[in-house]
Amino acid sequence: MDTLRLYGRSMTMLIKSQLQYPVSFLMQTLAQLVMEGGEMLAVILLIDRFDRLNQWGPGDLYFFFGLMSVSFYLTEIFGRGITGNFPYLVRSGQLDTILLRPRGILTQVLCSAADPRRITCIAVGVVSMVIGSNLSAIAWTPVKVLLLAEAIFCSGWLLMGLFMIEAVMCIHSVKSIEITNAITYGGRSACEYPSDIYPRWLRMMFTVIAPFALVMHVPASMILEKPLFGWPVWAAFLTPLSGAAVFGIMYLLFRKAMKYYRSTGS
Amino acid sequence: METQYRGAVLGGLVCQIFFGIILVAIYRALYAGKPQTIPLGHVTTYVWLQQAFFRMLLSNDPELLDKIRTGAIAYDLCRPLHLYGYYYARILAQKVTGSALRALPMLVFAALLPEGWGLCAPVSVPALLAAIVALILGFFCVSAIENITMGFTMRTLDPRGMQAMLSMLITIFAGNILPLTLFPDSWQRVITLLPYAQLLDAPIRLYTGEYSLGMLPQVLAIQGGWTVILILAGCAFWNRNQRKLIIQGG
Repeated sequence: MDTLRLYGRSMTMLIKSQLQYPVSFLMQTLAQLVMEGGEMLAVILLIDRFDRLNQWGPGDLYFFFGLMSVSFYLTEIFGRGITGNFPYLVRSGQLDTILLRPRGILTQVLCSAADPRRITCIAVGVVSMVIGSNLSAIAWTPVKVLLLAEAIFCSGWLLMGLFMIEAVMCIHSVKSIEITNAITYGGRSACEYPSDIYPRWLRMMFTVIAPFALVMHVPASMILEKPLFGWPVWAAFLTPLSGAAVFGIMYLLFRKAMKYYRSTGS
Repeated sequence: METQYRGAVLGGLVCQIFFGIILVAIYRALYAGKPQTIPLGHVTTYVWLQQAFFRMLLSNDPELLDKIRTGAIAYDLCRPLHLYGYYYARILAQKVTGSALRALPMLVFAALLPEGWGLCAPVSVPALLAAIVALILGFFCVSAIENITMGFTMRTLDPRGMQAMLSMLITIFAGNILPLTLFPDSWQRVITLLPYAQLLDAPIRLYTGEYSLGMLPQVLAIQGGWTVILILAGCAFWNRNQRKLIIQGG
């Protein structure tokens, strides 16, 4: 509880500090809007030309796209410490100061950064989900709302877990490892679309290794009433937990890696 | 400079290839549902050429920005050289070396991929030569565009928002996010005339035969025209900026 309060206070301070330069903040937020708007434009134009993607109609595709935007950028706002500059903390030796303080390492890393500029990306995602929901005529029920909330929440854990792969690797190697972007940013780009459109090996990758399919696509397809793999409702509630599992595994590996941590010195 | 960090280049390359495969997989699935007049092979070729020359579109030179923020720009102003020309040459060199190192291995990889996934051969040898000429002009054009973006960085000390927006325009309208050939046909008549389409879209269309060799003079004229206009505009912009420039620091 104490940790949560600490985290809450850090977030408020970080966001306030970014708002100290309102014009710069506004410009960067607008830039984010153009960026995510551009991504959505691609989806709109593709739907305009191709009408549908396998069994998925236009509304379904907007819904999947929106779900990814909302989940990914919520993680970027609140988990920026992990998704952003952890390799920098290691390289610059700033991690040492964190080790001295009487709090968990990961807690402090999470409290060290926030990225409120992403708010416009989330707005784009929400708009896309609303359009999708209307076009696909989703009949919202309390169960579906709960499912959506769980999917977004667990996606956050999954994404942080995936970004921690880079954190763990850079504790060992000091240099940041660009190749892990394939799984994080690559996963984002790929899983804006339902994973069953991909060939087998890519589908397996996004189901077993980086389970975007289990965390997002299974519940989303249930909400759209076109369940992926024909799985029942209880399965859709169960599979997003794999996101939390990925985070748990990475957390254990992270603790193990910290035992090998050698400071880069001053 | 680039060969000093082999690991990073290799990592970036693997990443870029992975993105390429994902994009191709999406277009394959879309084509399976509703084939288009543009053959799938042209689209996959478009994707791979875009991925291979991604570095050309990317702006990643913080040096001028740092110089302005720290006031070190004053040294540059003392040097007996043309400031715009100096930075233009610098950007051009960075773009050419950065993309050459990545493009070659990537195109080899893409050419080895199975039918329907990878890079198709050019329609003819003259088309390939025409595409290379157009690509060279594209490099001159993109450097001119980037120098105008850099001109904006002189105006404000925190140009991140402006820069992000301008570079986003490049990735959309140069065809990196979505091939310009898949944009609505009515839009294409306009966007292929924009400067952004002159960077990679025009060379790729010459390569795949979307633009016939008969259209070559017209294509090169548009590319060359934009390059000249953008260089002249950039030069004038920089000259005006230099008079207003405030040297920071102390």
